[in-house]
Amino acid sequence: MRIRTAIVAALVLVGATFGFASPASASESIGSCVAEVAAELEGLTAEGLSEEEALHEVEAQAEACVEAPNPVFPAANELIWISISFAIVLFLGLKFALPAATAAMGARTEKIRTDLETAERTRTDAETEAAKYRESLGDAQAESARIIDEARADGERVKAAKIAEGEAQAAEILSRATSEAESRKAQALSDLRSEVVALAVGAAEQVVQRNLDASAQSELIENYINQVGSQN
Amino acid sequence: MVGDHAAAYAEALFAVTRVEGNHTRVEDELFRFARAFEGSEELQAALADPATPAARRQQIVEDLLASAASGTTVGIVSLIVASGRVNDLPEIVDAFVERVAQQSGSRIATVRSAVELSSDQQERLAAALRTSVGHEVTVKVIVDPSVLGGIVTQIGDTVIDGSVRRRLHQLREAF
Repeated sequence: MRIRTAIVAALVLVGATFGFASPASASESIGSCVAEVAAELEGLTAEGLSEEEALHEVEAQAEACVEAPNPVFPAANELIWISISFAIVLFLGLKFALPAATAAMGARTEKIRTDLETAERTRTDAETEAAKYRESLGDAQAESARIIDEARADGERVKAAKIAEGEAQAAEILSRATSEAESRKAQALSDLRSEVVALAVGAAEQVVQRNLDASAQSELIENYINQVGSQN
Repeated sequence: MVGDHAAAYAEALFAVTRVEGNHTRVEDELFRFARAFEGSEELQAALADPATPAARRQQIVEDLLASAASGTTVGIVSLIVASGRVNDLPEIVDAFVERVAQQSGSRIATVRSAVELSSDQQERLAAALRTSVGHEVTVKVIVDPSVLGGIVTQIGDTVIDGSVRRRLHQLREAF
């Protein structure tokens, strides 16, 4: 609202400036001056003067037309109007535009400050969050490192247990195989001994059968009878 | 343990032989035939075959024993075969032998030998056994080649083993 009021005031000032300045510039037009010189020249010629004499008469007036105004100091009437316009513009500016501009700038400044504060707060919050994130990330990294260490330790324990178990099983298998081999060896020796004994006894039986003739049988029977008779 | 049938048959046989007064001979002949029957699967098959008529089986018995045994023995065996109890013959005969020995106050000594014992050897063995066990004994000899040599005597549950087979067995056990 204030900005709109300031823009309207500025437009009024510009219009007033150009409106009041236009009469001063009209009195100083070269075209009208030259037209007056030409009319004067035409009048002189009509009065009977030669063209050369007429030109000589209006030469100073023509030179005055083309003489340039002062570039630094304006004409007096123009200076008055400019001063009045400036005063009006200054008054209007101080009265309407400056408070509006001041209010707008204050509002803008306040908004910028608020935005800066919000941004600062946001940045602080972001930094806090970032710190928390970094902290949690550090915790997570520490936790992951701890988990990895524990997993590695568990793996080592399992590995050691498996190795020990495997070694125990291998030792047991070896022991069992050794025991079984010893048992089979002993059984083989026993079987061999039994076989040898059976063969030897069988051979002895055949020898006995061949050598047990009637007299030997009779002698065995007599020995038996005598032995039984001696028992009481 | 003697079965009821064997005991009944033994008692009947004892009654018959006592009446006829030849139980000693009949006992000896039946004992020998029973042992021969035990040792011969062919004889067992011939006398126990139900497909063979009883008359034919009795004829076999007569052919085997008529020339070597008394008529009483042949008749007893023929009776047992005809009655279909030939498989019980060894048990019946053993019960009969026990019954006869019981009658005389003696005990049966079953003697296994690789060769036949002479009468003198049997008498001296009976005397030796009587001295050893303190009872009168009746020696029943079984010729058993598996004994190899010497004698094995069984009186009731008592076994006196003086055979070569036992010595070889001891030799085998020693190893």
